[in-house]
Amino acid sequence: MNLKNLTADRLVSLYANRDLTVTEVITSVFDEIDRSDGSIRAFISLCRERALEEARRTDSRIAAGEPLNALSGVPVAIKDNMNVRDVPTTCGSKILENYIPPYTATAVERLRTAGAIVIGKTNMDEFAMGSSTENSGYFVTRNPHDLERVPGGSSGGSAASVAAGMSLIALGSDTGGSIRQPASFCGVVGMKPTYGRVSRYGLVAYASSLDQIGPFTKSVRECAQVLETICGFDHYDSTSADTPVDSFVKHLDQPMKDIRIGIPREYFVAGMDPDVKANIESAIRRYESMGCKIEDIRLPHTEHAVATYYLIATAEASSNLARYDGVRYGLRVGGAGGLSEMYRKTRMAGFGKEVKRRILLGTYALSAGYYDAYYLKALKVRTLILQDFEKAFEKVNIILTPTTPTPAFRIGEKTADPLSMYLSDIFTITCNLSGLPGISLPCGKSSANLPIGMQLISNHFQEAMLLQVAHNFEKAGGFGNVSL
Amino acid sequence: MKISEADVEYVAKLANLEVHDDEKKELAEQLSRIVEHVEELNTLDVSNVLPTYQVVSNTKIAIREDRALPRTGSSEAGKTIKLFKVPKVITER
Repeated sequence: MNLKNLTADRLVSLYANRDLTVTEVITSVFDEIDRSDGSIRAFISLCRERALEEARRTDSRIAAGEPLNALSGVPVAIKDNMNVRDVPTTCGSKILENYIPPYTATAVERLRTAGAIVIGKTNMDEFAMGSSTENSGYFVTRNPHDLERVPGGSSGGSAASVAAGMSLIALGSDTGGSIRQPASFCGVVGMKPTYGRVSRYGLVAYASSLDQIGPFTKSVRECAQVLETICGFDHYDSTSADTPVDSFVKHLDQPMKDIRIGIPREYFVAGMDPDVKANIESAIRRYESMGCKIEDIRLPHTEHAVATYYLIATAEASSNLARYDGVRYGLRVGGAGGLSEMYRKTRMAGFGKEVKRRILLGTYALSAGYYDAYYLKALKVRTLILQDFEKAFEKVNIILTPTTPTPAFRIGEKTADPLSMYLSDIFTITCNLSGLPGISLPCGKSSANLPIGMQLISNHFQEAMLLQVAHNFEKAGGFGNVSL
Repeated sequence: MKISEADVEYVAKLANLEVHDDEKKELAEQLSRIVEHVEELNTLDVSNVLPTYQVVSNTKIAIREDRALPRTGSSEAGKTIKLFKVPKVITER
């Protein structure tokens, strides 16, 4: 059974026709993991027994003639910063190595209610801090398209699991591009919804005003299905949006009318890979041929986004990560010298280099004498970035950009220079700063046969239109399921 | 602005982190480079701009009725973990 060419909607119809059993599919998922994950290393932990048990239960319900749900028997991989009750949540960090959460994240719970089966937890940059999954406290995940290259990050394990056919769908989280960038590098669809759309309850916090959960899939249709399932108000998250969730799937096949696509000049910078540029330009022409109006727009504060992001994200992180002190979550080191010694020794032993660097930067930006100059200033520039988008959306309803300036880079290429790694997020972080939804979908391949991703952005809560525009491109171009 | 090894030590103390002596130099250099980069924000005049702390709209939870709601998990946690034992905080003089 080749899961690389199978989509969730097709799978559910095969179950409904009794052409396949859930047990067969889940068994073959773990066979594929046994075959491929030794070299890719997408998973931190597997839920083999539990998943097979759920598969058997689903099969007997189908045999009894019960109706199937939208995601019945669909295998899903979960980034290891979302809680699944009784399964370890490590967040890619040694400091949470032995943490077993007593509850399940709302987004995961909603997928399971729709019938999805959790098969395992995926590798990530520690506390979602990174763009390559090289910063995991456990091991490096490799890109299924080229094992010498990174899968992107921080949700690299989730992206790689879907691209390699080790899972059909996956959840990731996106604070500065951590879903869209690995989706682009691995040739799959990845989406960050509007801030507040998906509950963050049960998601380990990195930068709370930027974090958002979203799906990885092979097609836009599956993305719409997963998103429709996990979106919606949740009283366990104080920033959850009380906005009605339309049927994103039903909206997909409606004809595109009056779509005006803005191309921001600032996103076509020097240093962009020529293959990326060529593929994005051809995507623009394709939309034009489908009757969309293409307009030049300006987002003049784009060049300040990386600086703004790294001040706000690290400041919030330094506060969020203060809770890992050796008292409640697994790891504890020292203690003979008293409580503060235990805090320091535990945090020193449990956190990796990048996490310590970001905590230090965030603490510095918030410290007396520097708060106004760094943190407050960044919050004000955030307003300017948001206003750029407000102005742009008066003219257009979709913004089209490359997801990343280059295809997947080599393992080790950017680890020595943290700043160069940060700058690779330039095209994705503006969505997080402004809370806008963004989707990355495959739009071609480079001369080295690496996937290239295109990013589409819409105004807040316009996911239905965003998915529809993405779906129309996929249908016209056939770039979905970029095969390995 | 250049971050010195002493700055690293001071901020590490504020953040409850211990930094090895051999890490201090590298961290000071890396943080200096990052701080020099973020200082490009000083080219912007933001004196009349309000800060954006959170881009959230349509939230209702902040003004919900003030009563306790059941929380998934907390009762299970309570069954297994009664108290967290920590090292002695108060010492005799």
